Amino acid sequence: MQPIDFSALLASSVHDLKNSLHALRELICQLESFFPEQKPDELKQLNFEANRMNNNLMQLLTLYKIGLSQCTPTIDENYAVDILEDIVDQHSTLLSLGNVELITECDSDLMCYCDSAMISNALCTIVNNAHRYCQSKVLISASQEQDYVVFSIEDDGAGYPESLMSSDGQQQLPQVDLGTGNTGLGLFFTRTIARLHANAGKQGFIETDNNSRLGGARFRLYLP
Amino acid sequence: MLGFYYYLSTSFKYKISVETRNFGFFEPRHTNKDKVKVNPLMAVDLSSKKVLIIEDQAPMRDAIKQIVGSLGARFIVTEESGSNAIVAMRNHKFDIVLCDYNLLGEKTGQQVLEEARYLKLLPLSSIFIMATGEHRLELVLSAVDNKPDEYLIKPFSAKQLSSRIEKCQVRKDYLACVENEIDKGNLYQAIHQCEKLLRQDDKKMHMQLLKMQAELLVKVGDLNKAEQIYLDVKQQREFPWAKLGLGVVAFHRGDYVRAIKILDEVIEQHPMMLEAYDLLAKSYELIGDDEQALSSVNSAVELSPRSILRQKKLAVLADKTDNLFIAKKAYMATIKLGKNSIHKSPTDYSGLANIYLKTDFSDKALQVVRELNQQFHNDPEAMIRSALLEADIYQTKGHMELALQAQEKAFKLNKQFNKQLSRELRMEMVRECYLSGDTETSNEMLNDLVTANIDDKLFIKDLLTMCGDFVGDNHAEILVQKVKRDLVNINNKGVSLFQEGNIRKAIALFEKALTLMPDNHTIILNLVKTLIYEMKTSKPDQEKVMHAQSYINKAIQLGIPHNKVSVIQTELDAILSTIN
Repeated sequence: MQPIDFSALLASSVHDLKNSLHALRELICQLESFFPEQKPDELKQLNFEANRMNNNLMQLLTLYKIGLSQCTPTIDENYAVDILEDIVDQHSTLLSLGNVELITECDSDLMCYCDSAMISNALCTIVNNAHRYCQSKVLISASQEQDYVVFSIEDDGAGYPESLMSSDGQQQLPQVDLGTGNTGLGLFFTRTIARLHANAGKQGFIETDNNSRLGGARFRLYLP
Repeated sequence: MLGFYYYLSTSFKYKISVETRNFGFFEPRHTNKDKVKVNPLMAVDLSSKKVLIIEDQAPMRDAIKQIVGSLGARFIVTEESGSNAIVAMRNHKFDIVLCDYNLLGEKTGQQVLEEARYLKLLPLSSIFIMATGEHRLELVLSAVDNKPDEYLIKPFSAKQLSSRIEKCQVRKDYLACVENEIDKGNLYQAIHQCEKLLRQDDKKMHMQLLKMQAELLVKVGDLNKAEQIYLDVKQQREFPWAKLGLGVVAFHRGDYVRAIKILDEVIEQHPMMLEAYDLLAKSYELIGDDEQALSSVNSAVELSPRSILRQKKLAVLADKTDNLFIAKKAYMATIKLGKNSIHKSPTDYSGLANIYLKTDFSDKALQVVRELNQQFHNDPEAMIRSALLEADIYQTKGHMELALQAQEKAFKLNKQFNKQLSRELRMEMVRECYLSGDTETSNEMLNDLVTANIDDKLFIKDLLTMCGDFVGDNHAEILVQKVKRDLVNINNKGVSLFQEGNIRKAIALFEKALTLMPDNHTIILNLVKTLIYEMKTSKPDQEKVMHAQSYINKAIQLGIPHNKVSVIQTELDAILSTIN
């Protein structure tokens, strides 16, 4: 039997899944139109889960393309505050559920050099996770540390499990923890995106620890 | 830790003076006296804006309409198809267009954008946002020159839409003074505006302005200044566009070998930078390496199969290099992509039909000709091409009678419409007429073509090669020399009229000559110089300056070197400043 080319197979399956998901989201949209005034929370949750799936699939596709070197970042000059703003905007539906507080902290003229769409997408994944594992607060911030701009996402949850904590040394695929459903795929994705950002011999990287100012997990993305 | 809610700032730079800012939470339980609660959705006010929504799925359309309405818009038009959207844009000047990328069945969002820009249905100040279900990356690939102002991934919230619109608005307002000049073709003024804005030293727009300025400098041919900007930027930070810019500069200097070296490096580091492949292909073509050019275009097409212009280029190059299989595939792709596009052209069909003829599939060729007739009604170019093809096909099949009929039809149409045809087709007709024995018409057309295109070295070269193939003697060569002599005579006559002080007559002479040779460099330059002299010696007015400016803009368009154009532009600017 011919060996199965799993990456190509996976990529085409993902495309297929995305089509189904697209139809699903159209249906959710139709459902929403039944509630012109106050939309029920279940519907918001449904929307959120559908978006989450979509983001996951997009991550997979992006990783696939990076693997084929068909995906390189378009580096531009950006205000860090704009990226944070974009993340907040993308979470506005979720935040309107009202049980989590999202705080942002950023110097208004801090500049960073990156593919803003890629970075905000990657950070969104992390914020999504923080939203899931926090108790009530998520803090996202950006600051300058020597030659790097650092984006931090901190929460007040239980913190990362031992297996997910690292300074950026490892690039192996994450282990799936069936107990918690935590795959670490989001971290793998952001690490890959970070590494695509390079300048003057320096490369982007991520760090995860439990030194959050809010007492939970802390994620940091370093961009040169 | 506790912060405040805020309005999205409408001014360009954030003017909030505190060190850190906290924003954007919607948590009702933690109320705090210091927080001023404002509705974040009110950041952008669309009440005075005309908005067009193009979306084929009804529920999504309604949802987007609701979002736009929640931002205050009162004038909202929704369309479900690209063609209807174009009609709507003909009727109204929209401020904001929100277009779905994947419009089913018909035109894609990209085609709507291309067509709207091509037909100038979108005012400069308008904002075109492409909404998509997919990641931005996949779409960027298909775009050639026509990029939307923003991308937005569906489904989006009112907040996301509002920030995108606001960011666009701020950027457009800021760059309006440059864009307006570009739109009028006044590239030198556009460069001045860039310099002016750069002096304001707005950090956020700095790079974008430098990029614009460098591109403009390349367009007017001031390559040294452009190169300096790219080098300065590159030293600061490795922006891919700066490196590409250095390749562009080398290309325009005619240093194709250096251009190829730089572009290869750009592609190595940024394999998705499609502009680099396009320029690389052109460089190879100009050093006569069509096989390498083909391979560059082929790589670009693999990355962006939906770009019709690249497919077209691939087809022509493959055809030229006898890679018939690639040519066939690319022509077919071009035809498919062209169905709802402004880039649809009869040459795509005739190209494919010719490939079928070459490979002995005359029935298939005939089928393509039928499709050509169906796709283009009352288009003389299409009618002649299809008649010529029919003649060839019938001849191959041995139906001489039918072949002759088709050929007669082509000649008749050519007599009727010759002036409207593309120069490529006119070139073909020169050959057809000559071979059929009508040397008089053939010569007349050849004369016209040489006269109108005498400055276009590549075209004249193609023309000479073609004539050499069938006439055999140096008939065309002699003609070219004669046209060149005539040109010298006209210019000499104009210059002596000028020297005799007969300015009006000189202007009239040059303008008349220009109707025969609309693209001739020397005549345009002499005309502008005479016009400027006339203004210096009489009373200049706004209208005269604009008249002269239009010729300068044409000179830039034709790629007349910077050192020649900049001198007359400076003189004209000086005259303008005495009026104001």
